[in-house]
Amino acid sequence: MLSVTESVGQTLSTRSPALETSDIQATVLRPRPSPYLGEYVVFRIGDVGQGREMLRRILPHVAPADEWWVPSLPGWLGIAFTFEGLKALRVPQASLDSFPIEFRQGMAARAAILHDFGANAPGNWEYPFGTADMHVALAIYAQDEQNLQRVLELARKTHHDLPDISLVYRLPFGSLPEGRNPFGFKDGLHNPQVEGSSPAGPAGNEAPIKAGEFVMGYPDEKGETAQTPIPEELRHNGTFLTFRKFHMDVAAFRQYLRAQASSPEEEELLAAKMVGRWRSGAPLVLAPDHDDPALGADATRNNDFGYADDMKGLKCPFSAHIRRVNPRDALKNDIVAVNLHHFLRRGTNFGPPLPEGVLEDDGAERGGVFLLIGAHQQRQFEFIQSQWVTDGNFISHGTEQDPIIGNGEGDGVFTIPKRPVRRRLQGLPAFVTVRGGEYCFMPGLRALRWLADLSS
Amino acid sequence: MATQTLTRPKQNQTAEDKIQQLRQAFADAPEFAKTALENTLRDLASAAAQPRSRMESAGRTGSRQGTVSELTLIAPFARGGAARLRAVLQARNGNYDDTDKVGTVHDMRFVFLDNDTKLLFATAFDGDWDAYIDDFVAKIPNELDVFFSACEGWPGTHNPAVRDWIANHQVTAEGWYVAHPDLTVRDITRVKRVGKAVEEFLDKIG
Repeated sequence: MLSVTESVGQTLSTRSPALETSDIQATVLRPRPSPYLGEYVVFRIGDVGQGREMLRRILPHVAPADEWWVPSLPGWLGIAFTFEGLKALRVPQASLDSFPIEFRQGMAARAAILHDFGANAPGNWEYPFGTADMHVALAIYAQDEQNLQRVLELARKTHHDLPDISLVYRLPFGSLPEGRNPFGFKDGLHNPQVEGSSPAGPAGNEAPIKAGEFVMGYPDEKGETAQTPIPEELRHNGTFLTFRKFHMDVAAFRQYLRAQASSPEEEELLAAKMVGRWRSGAPLVLAPDHDDPALGADATRNNDFGYADDMKGLKCPFSAHIRRVNPRDALKNDIVAVNLHHFLRRGTNFGPPLPEGVLEDDGAERGGVFLLIGAHQQRQFEFIQSQWVTDGNFISHGTEQDPIIGNGEGDGVFTIPKRPVRRRLQGLPAFVTVRGGEYCFMPGLRALRWLADLSS
Repeated sequence: MATQTLTRPKQNQTAEDKIQQLRQAFADAPEFAKTALENTLRDLASAAAQPRSRMESAGRTGSRQGTVSELTLIAPFARGGAARLRAVLQARNGNYDDTDKVGTVHDMRFVFLDNDTKLLFATAFDGDWDAYIDDFVAKIPNELDVFFSACEGWPGTHNPAVRDWIANHQVTAEGWYVAHPDLTVRDITRVKRVGKAVEEFLDKIG
């Protein structure tokens, strides 16, 4: 009697309108350059007039998402605001009140939902995360040092003579050799395809996701178009982003693999089981026994897979990182509408690599920054973090967390389905530690002008 | 997601204070109830001295113990709603196996109150319904509408006001006991499977 509806919004046959890419910020749709350099910069606005002046100056330099699929931009900046930032710009109260609850509260206040306890608790975060001093954030991406300096200089000139605009945080970042993350895995391999955003989608077997999931002003997977925040001029072509910085303990990762495995080959297999891909990027589903660097390097194949032929998890464990954060078709028999739980990944890595083979921590800060873009953070980032990353019930794994980015405190387990009996790794250390995070609103270009032109 | 303890005792309130309050509350109770209270005071005192800190808030309303949450909902029937819902429930012949698909529901009951004028719906489930409500709306909208359209003011599953409707009709339990607050429905299924395998193994070697 329980007739599961196959896909959300299937009754809505209306085609989505094409996205107005000239009004959407480049950061929303444009993949980061490869290789990339960049910097996240955060300001505090101490004076509303100076805040609006900075906005007016920065406006001409905020890149639109036109032709985002062509890797033609040498460097660009994106701009986003926290709730405290919108307050500092004196956005009208009725408008402030119409923003979603998670944005108004800020990420620190959501710690219980996000399972940010222990070392990950907001009390242990870096300044200015979790404080009221974080107002405006810039994300600057560039192909090389020269272009990075050029964009940084543009940014500097928008506020250098405005004494009440204070720079409260800078995080320079850059890609590591071969596009690897600090743990040594090729990353940035998957992003949902946004319907109507480009003439031709990237290779892969995934159906496009409705644009309203990622940009306000278009129908989403529920068939709805965002009605808040108000007014329409402010929300149209805008979206929300989750910024979350975490440290990666690469030495702990390597030590743990060494302790659990009896050969270098087994270390690599265990690492791949935790991630769901080999270091080259080759997915376990397509290469279950050995790494396949040619597959990993082939953008037309390394993301073209599902879990329908691996419903016992014998190739890719249920608990593997990529199967948790993007289950694809793995949950098709459950009452879960996976299309409601996506985000665009624009994150980056930071810090120097820990040299190959080193097992002792060198004390350096290195890790990743999640820059996750979606119009509904509550059912996107927050759902994925609370239900799929820091819990295991959805895959019948009790309280088991994501082996790589879970918020464990050294007592983690990781289950590897296997015949005749499964293997379970115990005492999994926390390989990552949250250093801070915040929810931001990333308006469209006309909305930026609206913000700059507000009068008291 | 649980953040606050609903049963947190007042600061500095001792078990003796609480027993004193209990005796006062029972001052106008019948004699046999007073006697019963005195006879159970020893157990009550130890319970009062060791509050169960694991009873917490489950999202906006309702309470939660460990991984299990309770939802109790009381809503007036719409015109003809009681007859419709009764017909739907009777057609099932007591079979609710399809609810297995949800994977997080421990139990569910539909009780008709006050001469078929109100519905009491009570359920225990894992986690927070808030997190999954959009998934339910997307995947099982017909089931929700068939059940709850019996109630007055049900906005329809696809209406965003559905969250508020549920929250507005929810009543938080004052007291609630869960035998295994650390086991989800999926945990129980797994533990049963493992237990069966172990028994079979023991049968073979025994």
